[in-house]
Amino acid sequence: MNPASAANVLNRDEVVSAIRLLSTADLIRLRKVADRYARGRIEADDLLQEAFARALDTRTCPAHVSVVKFLAEAMRSIADGMADKAENRLVLVPVAKTGGEEDEAFNVHDPSPDSETHLLESEAADKIRSALLELFADDPVARDIVEGTMEGMEATELRELTGLDLKGFATKRRLIRRRIDNAFPEGWKQ
Amino acid sequence: MTGPKHPGRTSIRNLNNFLVEDIVSASDEELLAEFREGGGDPKAEAERVRALFEASLVKTNKSRLAAARAGAAANRNTARLRPAWSAHDARRRLRAILSQPGIPSRLTMAARKEDELSDADVLGMLDDLRDLGLLPEDDDLA
Repeated sequence: MNPASAANVLNRDEVVSAIRLLSTADLIRLRKVADRYARGRIEADDLLQEAFARALDTRTCPAHVSVVKFLAEAMRSIADGMADKAENRLVLVPVAKTGGEEDEAFNVHDPSPDSETHLLESEAADKIRSALLELFADDPVARDIVEGTMEGMEATELRELTGLDLKGFATKRRLIRRRIDNAFPEGWKQ
Repeated sequence: MTGPKHPGRTSIRNLNNFLVEDIVSASDEELLAEFREGGGDPKAEAERVRALFEASLVKTNKSRLAAARAGAAANRNTARLRPAWSAHDARRRLRAILSQPGIPSRLTMAARKEDELSDADVLGMLDDLRDLGLLPEDDDLA
């Protein structure tokens, strides 16, 4: 790392100091982010600890990025990585023997979901989607935002779609999060 | 064009990221009030998160220490690996090294009576010189 780029990132001691100096509110923020990303695959505490460990050892925190955002991004990356790993895990499945003396042969399992799995996942996703949209049946703007977000729209596109300014969008986003948190306290279970 | 392999998962990921953006941008007061509304004790929870961090710090420190120790041990072992010199070769090398400019005088004084040193002493001195970075690669003295 050259001196110029080194100056633009926090060193390990600086990361330690920055985390130790986090306020109660910021620590609660991290807790809530962990709760949000952990759902289903990992315990929130484990996700937090893994994010801390990576912040200390493997990830580089740019000096201009808040440590909270940096740790939130680390948690997102870990959670996504776990999901991708589960999705792409190679599974060896025995192939029926055809009478030869050789050891049992194995085929590499195709990680693409088979049609049945795909159908079940699609059904589950459709149920969650319907439940979410139902949750905002009384608020078409919020419903459009939720639907657009799930389809991959960015905040600027959503604001354009709904005609909300920055403040109005932030207020609506807060309402959406709180309503979802109350309706799905344990995650995306039906 | 192909869509995502798991469109349901992708849409939930998108939504999670959207909701986390809100958590990150919420004001301290809003966040603390919300946490209390849910029956939580912010100070106690903050202490729990701090404890998780300190535990992670101890764990990573231990890993780094273990890695540093392993690295140092590997370096020591590498340094101690010497070619199978004959006693004659070892003495020749020691003389050649000590006759070079820039060798500390206390070393040359110690080795002045090289013929009185045992073979083990000569090899030991070569090891010490290697540790000091003063032992050239084999061919440099040839």
